[in-house]
Amino acid sequence: MNISAAPGPGDTPRTGHRATGRDAESDHLIDLITRASRGHEDAFAELYDLTSTRIYGLILRVLRSADHSAEVTQEVYVEIWRQSARYDSSKGSVLAWMTTMAHRRAVDRVRSVTSETARDEKYASRTVDREVDHVWDGVEQRLDVERVRKGMGSLTAIQREALTLAYFGGYTQSQVAQLLKLPLGTVKTRIRDGLIGLRDALGVEA
Amino acid sequence: MSEIHGAVGSYVANALDPDERSEFQRHLEACPTCSREVQEFGETAAELSTLVQEPPPPMLRATVLTSIQRVRPLPPLSTEDPQTAPGPRSIADPTPGAEKPPARTAPQAAAPTPAEHGTATEPVDELALRRQRRTARLLALAVAATVVVALAMGGWVLNLRQQRQAQVADAAAQTQLLAAPDAKVYAKSMPDGTHVSFVVSKSLDKAMFVGANLADPGNDLVYKLWRIPSGTKPVPVPDNAFDGGGPRQVWLQGGLEDAVALAVTVEKDPNTPEPTTDPVAAVTL
Repeated sequence: MNISAAPGPGDTPRTGHRATGRDAESDHLIDLITRASRGHEDAFAELYDLTSTRIYGLILRVLRSADHSAEVTQEVYVEIWRQSARYDSSKGSVLAWMTTMAHRRAVDRVRSVTSETARDEKYASRTVDREVDHVWDGVEQRLDVERVRKGMGSLTAIQREALTLAYFGGYTQSQVAQLLKLPLGTVKTRIRDGLIGLRDALGVEA
Repeated sequence: MSEIHGAVGSYVANALDPDERSEFQRHLEACPTCSREVQEFGETAAELSTLVQEPPPPMLRATVLTSIQRVRPLPPLSTEDPQTAPGPRSIADPTPGAEKPPARTAPQAAAPTPAEHGTATEPVDELALRRQRRTARLLALAVAATVVVALAMGGWVLNLRQQRQAQVADAAAQTQLLAAPDAKVYAKSMPDGTHVSFVVSKSLDKAMFVGANLADPGNDLVYKLWRIPSGTKPVPVPDNAFDGGGPRQVWLQGGLEDAVALAVTVEKDPNTPEPTTDPVAAVTL
């Protein structure tokens, strides 16, 4: 999304899934982060309210420890507040910016505490199946969710598995390769193909 | 397609080890195709978070909003040529054409700016690095100028670092307090109806007063926090005076073992050794 250079709503018809509601939502987040960058704590509070179930949920999914997740979520939001003036809408949506930061922090934490927890490869190999299935269980049947689920469903099993282990599991591509007993090159390609498939299924525009 | 292009998915999924990651980042600076994919995959991955939504613990909201109070948002990133920098300023006025960004942003799709794409996916590290480099340059210049200036700059940098460490320590202290097994939260209402809380852990010997949007205590008046030990007069909590507004948080450390109550009063003299008015909020432990 490039708000600053994007044509107005009347100039060009919007294509794909980016219906007006999603655009409005996305613009609202930009407005909130812009106000936050000027020190408006109320705008930041609203940003928190609108995004925290996704940010916390993602961090929890990767870390699987409520204590660690609360701590990392707090760090992430403080960092978002600090960096708010440096968000650049020409480089992506607010949500992508925040999610990227959150995921990176969560993965960093996973790798720094790996030795303390049971997240070793033996444990992992036993839970690969659950890992992949779990993501699909008990998810609210909302439209957004349904869309993404369908997108994931359009991938091949191996693409989905590789992407899930890497993104939600927090494993490196080499670990994913070991878990799936596949050559590294294959895993690399599957992860990328998975993202391409999902991108096309969701009609994501950069 | 060369081998390195293939790592773009793993890069976005944070599935590269540190060496692979820096190798890919170097490649990214010179590869518009990968830059574009990184951005698209970033949006795609963000959508994945809809599948795992989970409400955070309710207390986290107050903790986050209290922590940011002590953190100053960084200024927009200055570049060599601010004229051409597509900064957050352009989103301040989203009206199309009103503030036409310079040509560089418009043909974004055709000619992405590769060097900057790294920051989109990894703002923290990249920015921190740039700041470090800038600080290093400044320091080097200062040393060249005079030792005195160098010392002053060093002190300044150190001070910034100390501030940052203090913030981190504070956030950690909050988490520790909230996570203490005997942590108790006492919710109270101020006379104007605002809700405030006292969070107390006797095992940590720490407590925190938390309030959001406190009423203005009045002209030249402040709020003060007191600890009331068993059988003696109230003891002022160090640095215990605070204003209305908020979120506010006031720490209390030590002496909780024999404290029977905590209280907040409105005072004229911020340094008064004992309360001169009735408490506006009090809690019996």
